[in-house]
Amino acid sequence: MLISLNEIKRLVNISLPDDQLLKLIGSRLVEIESVADLFLKYKKIYVAKVLKTEPIEGTHLSLCQIDAGAKLNAEIDPEHENYIQVVCGAPNVREGMVAAWVAPGAVVPATFATPEPFEISARKLRGFMSFGMLAGADELALGDDHSGLLELDPRLTPGDLFADACGLNDKILEVENKSLTHRPDCFGLIGFAREVAGILGQPFSEPDFYRPLTPPSETTSKAASINSDLEISVADPSLCPCYSCAVFDVPASLNSRPAYLTPDDVFLYKSGMRPISPLVDLTNLLMLKTGQPLHAFDFDKFLAVGGSKSPNVRVRLARPDESLVLLDDREVALTDNDIVITSNDVPVALAGAMGGKSTEIDAGTKTVLLESASFSLYNLRKTQMTHGLFSEAITRFTKGQPAAAAPIVLEEALNSLKVSPKLRGCTASAPVASSEIAVTPETVNSVLGSNYSPELMTKTLENVGFRVSTASSKTSKTADPSEPLNVVPPFWRTDIHIKEDVIEEIGRLLGFDNLPLSFPSRPFIAPSLDPLLKLKTAIRHSLSGRLGANEILTYSFVSDALLEKANLDPENCYKIVNSLSPELERFRPSLLPSLLDKVRLNLKAGHRDFTLYELNQVAQKLYGLTPEGTPAVKTSLALVLPGDFYQIKSLFFELVRDLKPVLPAEFVLKPFGDAHLFEPRRGLAIYLKSGDLEILVGTLGELKSSVLSRFKLSGIFSALEIALDPCISASEPQLKAHEKPSLKLSKYPAVSRDLTLKLPVETPFSTVESALKSALATLSSSEALLSELEPLSIYHRKLSPVKNLSFRLTFRNPEKTFDSQEVSDIMEKIINNLSALGAEVV
Amino acid sequence: MSKQLADLKLALKSLGKEYAKLKTLPAAEKKSFGEKLNAKKSALLEEIRRETERAVSENLEPLDLSAPFAENAEKPTFPRGTIHPLSAELDLVAEIWKDMGFSVIESVQLDDEFNMFDALNFPQNHPARDSYDTFRTEEGFIPPAHTSTMQYRALTRFRPDLEEKGEIAVVIPGRVFRNEDLDATHEHTFYQCEGIFVSKTANLGQLLAVWKNFFETYYGQELNIKTQPGFFPFTEPSLEFQIEKPASLGGKGDGWLEMGGCGMIHPNVLKTAGIDPEVYRGFAWGGGIDRLVMLKYGINDVRYFESGKLDFLKEF
Repeated sequence: MLISLNEIKRLVNISLPDDQLLKLIGSRLVEIESVADLFLKYKKIYVAKVLKTEPIEGTHLSLCQIDAGAKLNAEIDPEHENYIQVVCGAPNVREGMVAAWVAPGAVVPATFATPEPFEISARKLRGFMSFGMLAGADELALGDDHSGLLELDPRLTPGDLFADACGLNDKILEVENKSLTHRPDCFGLIGFAREVAGILGQPFSEPDFYRPLTPPSETTSKAASINSDLEISVADPSLCPCYSCAVFDVPASLNSRPAYLTPDDVFLYKSGMRPISPLVDLTNLLMLKTGQPLHAFDFDKFLAVGGSKSPNVRVRLARPDESLVLLDDREVALTDNDIVITSNDVPVALAGAMGGKSTEIDAGTKTVLLESASFSLYNLRKTQMTHGLFSEAITRFTKGQPAAAAPIVLEEALNSLKVSPKLRGCTASAPVASSEIAVTPETVNSVLGSNYSPELMTKTLENVGFRVSTASSKTSKTADPSEPLNVVPPFWRTDIHIKEDVIEEIGRLLGFDNLPLSFPSRPFIAPSLDPLLKLKTAIRHSLSGRLGANEILTYSFVSDALLEKANLDPENCYKIVNSLSPELERFRPSLLPSLLDKVRLNLKAGHRDFTLYELNQVAQKLYGLTPEGTPAVKTSLALVLPGDFYQIKSLFFELVRDLKPVLPAEFVLKPFGDAHLFEPRRGLAIYLKSGDLEILVGTLGELKSSVLSRFKLSGIFSALEIALDPCISASEPQLKAHEKPSLKLSKYPAVSRDLTLKLPVETPFSTVESALKSALATLSSSEALLSELEPLSIYHRKLSPVKNLSFRLTFRNPEKTFDSQEVSDIMEKIINNLSALGAEVV
Repeated sequence: MSKQLADLKLALKSLGKEYAKLKTLPAAEKKSFGEKLNAKKSALLEEIRRETERAVSENLEPLDLSAPFAENAEKPTFPRGTIHPLSAELDLVAEIWKDMGFSVIESVQLDDEFNMFDALNFPQNHPARDSYDTFRTEEGFIPPAHTSTMQYRALTRFRPDLEEKGEIAVVIPGRVFRNEDLDATHEHTFYQCEGIFVSKTANLGQLLAVWKNFFETYYGQELNIKTQPGFFPFTEPSLEFQIEKPASLGGKGDGWLEMGGCGMIHPNVLKTAGIDPEVYRGFAWGGGIDRLVMLKYGINDVRYFESGKLDFLKEF
């Protein structure tokens, strides 16, 4: 939206420099995207009168003598004393005409601030010197009329600056519409200026016609009291809270318009619009000022379309089988969301959006039906999107113009036109009286953290049209801050409902940036730490620290194809209905497909030794819903590396070791049947011990070669994926119990002995390990002994029926230093305890 | 043994004879004589130690200290893991809030209409509800477009804190989604951090002070702030929050950075979460994390973050 600073200044007394004013508007009303200084755009352009023209033979050009005031005449064209010579190609140039003259050295406004500004010079044309040029509307960036010179008011004084003479010595503010969505009143100049007054701490003097009628309920009763001799029906008042209209004969004054640029034309241009016809211009000007759009129908056409003698205006939702040809000749298929104005049930306009072709006013229009109404912004927003309609009118309607404004603005239109309507009607069905909101100054200050006086609060609100009273109606300076202010918002503030809204107004108008900053006074109670975040941080530090892995982040949305590559069922995954592309259609059920997808590109980039991992959320339909009814989401750790089963297994145990302080629970690995991506003969399921239970939390191992080939990977890759939430719940009891870890500490030196056992090749490692562990445990319980067991090597000669397993056993005595005989005795006892294994000690 | 060292050792030996004299001295002189001898002895010992170290050092083979590794050896390797810069920043941000006394919980990546809109005081027919910007699943669930989707959950979960501590203080970092076409400055997947504070005396001045303090800690300097009126259904008043461009990002006291939206929690939001808005008040704020990281490292393309490229990740 474009706002003229001059127009604001006409309504508000402003003494502040412009830059400070703009800063205040930015911090207390709305973000100003840009400011265009028109004075710079129209620099060195002057009002000039054409004194004489004569055609240059053989061309369409005229040689003109122009008067640009004595000073410029003498300065610019040294050859002629009383005029300036200009060659002009416009067909409408004539003696006595007043036009804009672009002096040599000036930039043509249409090219101002473009990449190629065009500077006018004094030069010879067809043998005649031409100083500067007389400008057309398009060159002046006032519309796109290229047919001739733009005529100016003949009463203007030659030599005056064009910008000063025509109201273009102005700054135009471009306002971000989005940040005013909730403020329909600010989409009119009056409303915007009112806010500026409020920000400056000044009372705003409402234009007479827009002055709120007090109490506001009278507004409606006044409107309703208007002799309603025109039949209007509204199918549902929520679609159209107010429909007012009047029928009148087009006054003679509307049939002629000045041939020159008027101040109204300039106002329209500065607001980003353009003059069209006297009637349309009048409605547009009123809209720009009040924010209330109006629409004019040709009344005779209106009756003809409906096929009735008397007007029957009905506002209703369109039926899906209806269509309408709009003013821009476009035929739109209507939907049951669109609101239409109908004549005797035949749609003639798409309410709030655009009029219909069939009732368009034209030069022959004798009688007009002028509409001023308010419509449901929600329906209009949809209409706007469905049909791609973006006009100044619908931009305002979709902010929710107040119903009470409609009849007021219609009245003003009729007054400006000086017509008395033949027929009129208004459906102000529901009273729009604003209810009183009570708020104490104490509350205001405690919410804002401010120390404003009740008087300042009252004045601040009253400046912008609120009515404020107190029960005791004390007007003295010692107002009681605990006595409620009873605040009645003006009719145009449809966004003010509760005391917080009033508090916001006070804080905003007085400047949020002026609030004193203070910290909450708080108890010294440490915040609770989220176990999941704690675990994630610990995992990150272990993997990316000691274990040298690389954390990546990938999208939460994946394609069906990617899931299928990883043997995962897309139907188990939530599908995004408005996804950006099929690549991003499913909420991922596992992180592994995304990780695998990133392996090849990194291999191709030359990386060899890497371990990619991600910590993120996954969801599957199988997880069901939470008790609150939202999809159950799990946080998962997934990791992939080039390497075999033992590599991923070692990494897993190293990680588990690092996580002990936050995740003390014990993990157990067990074979599994099938697990989508994992090769069952090269992988194990991960279980977590929780009391007597073992909970399945994930899988680790080598990936199936079929899966790898679908990801275009060759060689052996291993991965793991673990659900973290169950790990946390399983560890909770242990963390809470504060179990003391059994530290194997002794001040006496440790002694190590290696033990190699020869066994049949089929004996699983775990059998041997647990036999050794239980032997050590037996020993520890009978003697004061601390022991550790560490596997050293597994030796198997190919095809041999036996293998050698070597272990290192380390002993400590908490009370003394072992001598070698004692250690040998211990070893013997252990070996004796192993007899059941049938192993040969090597 | 160098000659110097041999001389020193000889001198030490000769001290033994001096000590023998002690016996013959009159009692009155013994003390001062002994002290002198002891001082001489420790000076000699110190010199011997230094001389011995020097001798050992001189005997070492010369080594090219400018070389990256030893002759005939391979470069020593240490695994070099990397933490994603967004995770690292989220951790840092959470750490600061934690130090300021806030609990930290993570935002959920699949949510519903209730948390995204109803509980946040969006009117039934608010255009954001059917906006194309928000992703939806076939079931109508929502990958949330902002971390405010956690406000109801956080308020209800930490509601007991109001009795116990007199306040709710929590921040909620997390991944959010917006239906936007991907380019160098737009991501459909990004990170935000939401903050909530509720107490009997919470006010707008505190909100501004607290968020300002966070950024001052984060950027390690005092910062000016400014605000703009904003509009969010779930806060009233609502503000947009800006900080002065910090010196570490090349700020010279002239530029401003928009950091997000904030405001006093709307009474309806508190009410829905079972907190009496006549007794308690709250403030909330939220802003993006990705841009903090981009500004910090001068990253000019947001698409790097989710690219999974080690070339990018190994820069951090």
